[in-house]
Amino acid sequence: MSGLKAALVLFVAALFQLAVLTEYRQFRTASIVLVALLAIALLRGSVFGAVAGFGTGLLLDVATLGTLGVTSLLLTVFGFWIGRYGETTARDRFHAPFLSVATVTGLYAFGQLGLQFVLGQPAPAGLVARGLPLALLLNLLLTLPVYALIRRLFPPLELGDRVREVRLLG
Amino acid sequence: MPRNRTVRLAVLGNSVQRAASSGYPSSRSSALKRRIVVGVLVLLSLVLITVSFRSSALDGAQGTAAGILRPFEIAADRVSRPFRDAVGWGRGLVDAKAENKRLRSQIEKLRAQVIQDESAVQENVHLKDQLRYHGPPSVANFDRVNAVVLTNPQNAIDQSVTIGAGSADGLRSGSVVVSSSGGLVGTVDRAFPHVAHVTLLTDNQSAVTAIDLTSPTAVGIIQPGGGGNSDVLVLDLVSKSKYIGVGDTIITAGSLGKGALPSMFPRGIPIGTVTSQSSNDVNPFKNVQVQPLVDFSSLQSVIVLVPKK
Repeated sequence: MSGLKAALVLFVAALFQLAVLTEYRQFRTASIVLVALLAIALLRGSVFGAVAGFGTGLLLDVATLGTLGVTSLLLTVFGFWIGRYGETTARDRFHAPFLSVATVTGLYAFGQLGLQFVLGQPAPAGLVARGLPLALLLNLLLTLPVYALIRRLFPPLELGDRVREVRLLG
Repeated sequence: MPRNRTVRLAVLGNSVQRAASSGYPSSRSSALKRRIVVGVLVLLSLVLITVSFRSSALDGAQGTAAGILRPFEIAADRVSRPFRDAVGWGRGLVDAKAENKRLRSQIEKLRAQVIQDESAVQENVHLKDQLRYHGPPSVANFDRVNAVVLTNPQNAIDQSVTIGAGSADGLRSGSVVVSSSGGLVGTVDRAFPHVAHVTLLTDNQSAVTAIDLTSPTAVGIIQPGGGGNSDVLVLDLVSKSKYIGVGDTIITAGSLGKGALPSMFPRGIPIGTVTSQSSNDVNPFKNVQVQPLVDFSSLQSVIVLVPKK
């Protein structure tokens, strides 16, 4: 059920990004898909995050007729990483979604750049670096409402499970 | 915690039973399982990149999937259009008065220009007939396919759009794409049955032979401006001896080419207007900056030029 819900949320986020956000140049650097994916990964863990990232990346690559797998690779890695962060140190910390989004926004932009470079495509690093502050700002602004919405759809799991990994000494 | 209880007792001796819950799926799964899943997905992504980049084996599947997504994208576009129109209307109100005045004066100038142009066209046709002149193909030699823009560029690096027409409509790789106002947009990069990928003129790999409409001997190559700034194009390789004025219109040069390879761009497609031109002792060519006629950032629909049936 969670998987279906996540697929629906990410599909709608992708459509919103493709049909609305990219219409405006100033909002083009924002990525509601990335924010939604990271929020889901934080709340549902690494494996869920990785699978959701792969599917979302594939959807974006297909919709934009880009090279298949490029976005999937990046979103799989970041979905897994942030999911792992959510499973371990980020629990219930207010700053976790903001920190995750800020970190991954930068890494995602330069990850795309790196892959473009490896594939022999134009990779204007200066352009990406100049657009990064606005991307950070917009994504952080999106984080609050998106995370709140996704937290409602995917409520945090029981407290009992969260201490599962604590080992009692002595 | 009461003073007579130890930490160990506080935890182990807790009488409250932990509720059996569904659990944190990833926490419960072993580290090995986690690594296998992410490893397989990363490997699958790398395989997809390799196959997609090196061959066209996945093009059919990608085209079919993109075709399935097309109705959803069109629906999302239609749902969001009223809001976008409202924003555009609000913006338009701000400078409507000044724009109205400017456009009125422009109409006066253009009215006189049109009369001159019409007589020149008639004279041109007449002279071509007499000379049996065969020039490069023009826009009139092509059929037009109107297409909706499904996705605009996704980020600063991306200089491409996808459109809702494909090989079933006569599009093929290399087909020229213009905006609804007639300005050059780019070329079709890959055509799938019902969708196509268009590389914009602002892509670093784009280059078009162009001339100055006022001074047709000034021939150069239109390329994107430095730093990937899509607001500015550069007309490169124009000889210093050629005159180019600020405000001149730059159009595609077109050419008959040698043998079977004519220019893929018909002659006379407007590209932009010259905003500045300069030269120095170091560069053997003029430095000409061109403001494109098309706003590449928010294309709604385009026209693709396809060979006449």
